Amino acid sequence: MMSIIWPILVIVVTVFGVLGVAAVSTMLERRLLGVFQDRPGPNRVGPFGLFQVIADAMKMLFKQDWIPPFADKPVFLIAPIIGFLAVLLCFGVVPITPIWSVAGNLNVGLLFIFGMLGLGVYSVVLAGWSSNNKYALLGGMRAAAQMISYEVFMGLSVMGVVMAAGSFSIRDIVDAQTNCWFIIPQFLGAVIFFLAGVAETHRLPFDFPEGENEIGAGFHTEYSGMKFGMFYLAEYAGVALSSALVTTLYLGGWHGPLLPPFLWFAIKVFLLICFYILLRAALPRPRYDQLMSFGWKVLLPLSLLNILVTGAVVLLRAGV
Amino acid sequence: MSEVFDNSRAAGAGTGSMGAAVAAFPPHMLMMEEATRDGVPTFWVSRGQIRAVLQAVKAGGALRMLLDLTCVDERQRIHRDGLPASDFTVIYHIQSFDGPIDEVRFKVPLAADDANIASITDIWPNSNWLEREAWDLFGVVFEGHPHLSRILTPPTWVGHPLRKDHYARATERPPYTLSEDQVFDEQEALRFDPESWGMKRHSDNSDFMFLNLGPNHPSVHGVFRVVLQLEGEFIVDAVPDIGFHHRGAEKMAERQTWHSYIPYTDRIDYVGGVMNNFPYVMGVEKLAGITVPPRAQLIRIMLAEFFRISSHLVFYGTMVQDLGQLSPVFYIFTDRERVFEIIEKICGFRMHPAFFRIGGVAMDLPEGWDGEVRAFLDYLPKRLDEYNELVMKNPIFKARTKGVGVYNTEEAIDWGVTGPGLRATGLEWDYRRKAPYSGYDQIDFDIPTAVNGDCYDRAAVHIEEIRQSLRIIRYCLDNMPGGPYKAEHPLAVPPPKPRTMHDIETLIHHFVGVSWGPVIPQGEVRSCIEATKGLNQYYLVSDGGSMSYRTRIRTPSFIHLQQLPMLSRGTMIADLIAIIGSIDFVMADVDR
Amino acid sequence: MNIVLELYGLIAIGATALAITRTIPVHGLLYLVVSLLALACMFDELGAPFAAMLEIIVYAGAIIVLFVFVVMMINLGQPDQLREKGWFAGGAWIGPGVIAALLMGLLVYGTQRSTMAVGTAGTPIGPQQVGLTLYGPYILTVELSSFLLLAGLVSAYHIGRRIGGKS
Repeated sequence: MMSIIWPILVIVVTVFGVLGVAAVSTMLERRLLGVFQDRPGPNRVGPFGLFQVIADAMKMLFKQDWIPPFADKPVFLIAPIIGFLAVLLCFGVVPITPIWSVAGNLNVGLLFIFGMLGLGVYSVVLAGWSSNNKYALLGGMRAAAQMISYEVFMGLSVMGVVMAAGSFSIRDIVDAQTNCWFIIPQFLGAVIFFLAGVAETHRLPFDFPEGENEIGAGFHTEYSGMKFGMFYLAEYAGVALSSALVTTLYLGGWHGPLLPPFLWFAIKVFLLICFYILLRAALPRPRYDQLMSFGWKVLLPLSLLNILVTGAVVLLRAGV
Repeated sequence: MSEVFDNSRAAGAGTGSMGAAVAAFPPHMLMMEEATRDGVPTFWVSRGQIRAVLQAVKAGGALRMLLDLTCVDERQRIHRDGLPASDFTVIYHIQSFDGPIDEVRFKVPLAADDANIASITDIWPNSNWLEREAWDLFGVVFEGHPHLSRILTPPTWVGHPLRKDHYARATERPPYTLSEDQVFDEQEALRFDPESWGMKRHSDNSDFMFLNLGPNHPSVHGVFRVVLQLEGEFIVDAVPDIGFHHRGAEKMAERQTWHSYIPYTDRIDYVGGVMNNFPYVMGVEKLAGITVPPRAQLIRIMLAEFFRISSHLVFYGTMVQDLGQLSPVFYIFTDRERVFEIIEKICGFRMHPAFFRIGGVAMDLPEGWDGEVRAFLDYLPKRLDEYNELVMKNPIFKARTKGVGVYNTEEAIDWGVTGPGLRATGLEWDYRRKAPYSGYDQIDFDIPTAVNGDCYDRAAVHIEEIRQSLRIIRYCLDNMPGGPYKAEHPLAVPPPKPRTMHDIETLIHHFVGVSWGPVIPQGEVRSCIEATKGLNQYYLVSDGGSMSYRTRIRTPSFIHLQQLPMLSRGTMIADLIAIIGSIDFVMADVDR
Repeated sequence: MNIVLELYGLIAIGATALAITRTIPVHGLLYLVVSLLALACMFDELGAPFAAMLEIIVYAGAIIVLFVFVVMMINLGQPDQLREKGWFAGGAWIGPGVIAALLMGLLVYGTQRSTMAVGTAGTPIGPQQVGLTLYGPYILTVELSSFLLLAGLVSAYHIGRRIGGKS
């Protein structure tokens, strides 16, 4: 009996956990930005403005669910769902603690994540296309080029970790870090992975698909209500996912002294989310072509170099 | 009245100046020379000769700018003895930026039934919008203009608003109605047709995409629309569309008393505050022959510099915000709040104090003002250093702004660019230094310049100007003279009260000044200052009434915005945003 | 008989048919993605998770996105949809249909004759085995295809450069 209930429990808790984290991090972001920018941030709804999340959710739920008459209706509808689902599915293979993960031992877990991220691109691209709006189209085109490119660097940068751990299974990778977190031998890979993560979640300073100073709201210009809410949640779930991945791949996952595994995982993820927010507060946005050439001319050679060096070290250790 | 001639300027017609050179032109080119109250050499030229004259003037020296081009409807003018018959007079104001100030004015008389004149867009490219404006507001046709269409009023507007026979108030016309047909016509007029904007739909190997940026886009600083012709994200051409913020400020000047127009000027460049009062009241004072007491002059300078700081801070914050850096704008607006606190304590108002009066300022400085100002002078430089680390040294900011939106000094002069945008090209020219007004000659400050004339340099010049303004304010703080804050002159408004109940003469002046407003002697004058964004010039014509006969406001933003297409061709949308941010314009200042 | 596998197959066939018959290109591409996902699921069911993931990453996640990108760039409108409809009305589909049927027949014939065991419930083959096989017995194929890819890369770079220089 337990063997059936436990997986279902894990799935339900993970899904709601991710939703909760995404919702709370919207709040966290606004308060933290307030701190960084010498202003209070939302502080009126409930104690310390904590109920702002609920107020926002209510507003989005009860807003008119409007579809522009010139949009391509079916595609317009499924675009936000794709993005949201892709991020949620990724969490399925992230091992949060030794006993808590939906499919953490999937032997191609890391590839699964890349597959899902690849599908996540459709969300933004299709939203841009189906809105039938020029700003949205520009956002969609930027998204397609940016996200596919940075997926490449992300994939290449993580190969160092895969080689060092000898597995695509994320649980094996975490276990391989019992003694030494991969951020130390794989520092270059970690930096590239993190940068690519920022680009994949299209957060400032790499928020080109939205780029409100340039193209209005980009791919979700025409979205409102809960459909916009899905994009919004997917963005923050993506931030949480990216932080969770950096944690599991480079920061030793749940490993850490004294505290229980879950707390270690949560602390690391929380700090990374805060770092994401700090980035948003601190940096201006480069130009779109600068981002692309930075990726292809700097990140790509660096990540290849990382693979080369890691491979050499692994072979040397194996004594070939 | 002749004793109030500004002698330093009247001497401008001496040797070596443009005025002397023009006076030496062959006699058939000029009709006559007119003596004006501001002493700017003024020549009447027939419309057949004007192109030749202007070409000769431009060829006569380097860095000659068409500072202004405007028109006056002279049909109701009473005092114009000895001047050529004219219904519409087109006025060209040329200024040289080669050394100390040197300017000349040309007037071309036109008859109402034959109001057309040759365009000079090929001589000075910045005459394009100025001629369109003159056509829009006066109905003067400029033959040979590439795109003579409405610029400030909507395309469906009937009539030419600045003509004297056009109504000024809603009560002077039948009540406004909007029938269904009119709605349809207005909608049709909005339909976008690339050809009518001078753009092609296709190139050899691709279709262009037309993107309508604005009038309500987050980065266009107000209601400004620019239509982009795109190939991918590259801008093939950009056509600005303005006029959404047009309030008829020049028309309003013709129905307000000289005194009661002051608050309107505040709102021309709405982040410039009293900086807008400055040229206006100086112009009126010159017409009235009022000498402003030294204390009032220094109060004016100090407040104007505070507003320069405030305006430049807005520029800094919003430009950085446009480039995607979210935080500095909050810090910078906090500083601006400090500026407003001081301004509020002195003036009683924050953004639009309308603090200057004809003959001085509204009231004396409050007790304890110096402490506040001193605290601010110590506070801001540290903050500026911080922003320097945060913004100007940021590699992404540099990558976005260096080499973007470049123009050199010659191009700047051709396009009428003044102020920080001109100094960023390396030309050290500041009106406060080259033609000191209101006592700037006694103050020591540097004119910041840069070399490359790109967005980064324009930002850098703005920031250095904030520091220089702080220096000027410190001078005012340390050297504030005593004495009255307003001139003891019958035409100074509101007139000094204390003696009104003691002698009948003062009482009469007080009564007239307060009830009708002062009657300013007949004449015309230009009054120019180094405003926050460039040269802000008021050209005032008095016909000896209690209201202005013609008020022309030459705003820097209107002129600067015109070069946007030139700067943005071949760049990306993101560059356009950086360029728009760096030009530093305010739409109210553009549309008036 | 593996019911799940059959179900995936049905989905793949249905989605492919829809991908062919849609008149709006983006809709067609979306069905193609579904078809590819179904294929990936089949691979996984057959014990090849590595191949399944590569299918998703490379085909669904990258190549079709590029197709969508191109469709967005050229911005097809109403006239193109009508033209697409016209193609279905006439006999234009007969030729490709016959050829596809022929291919199908050959494929069925070939798989029937094949002696290789298809492990429907066999042990999953992980990435390590795939890697060892690729760089063991199939090393020549891998090297040849890398030549091909390099050539493709160079020529793509060349073409892109020439047009860039012209405009």
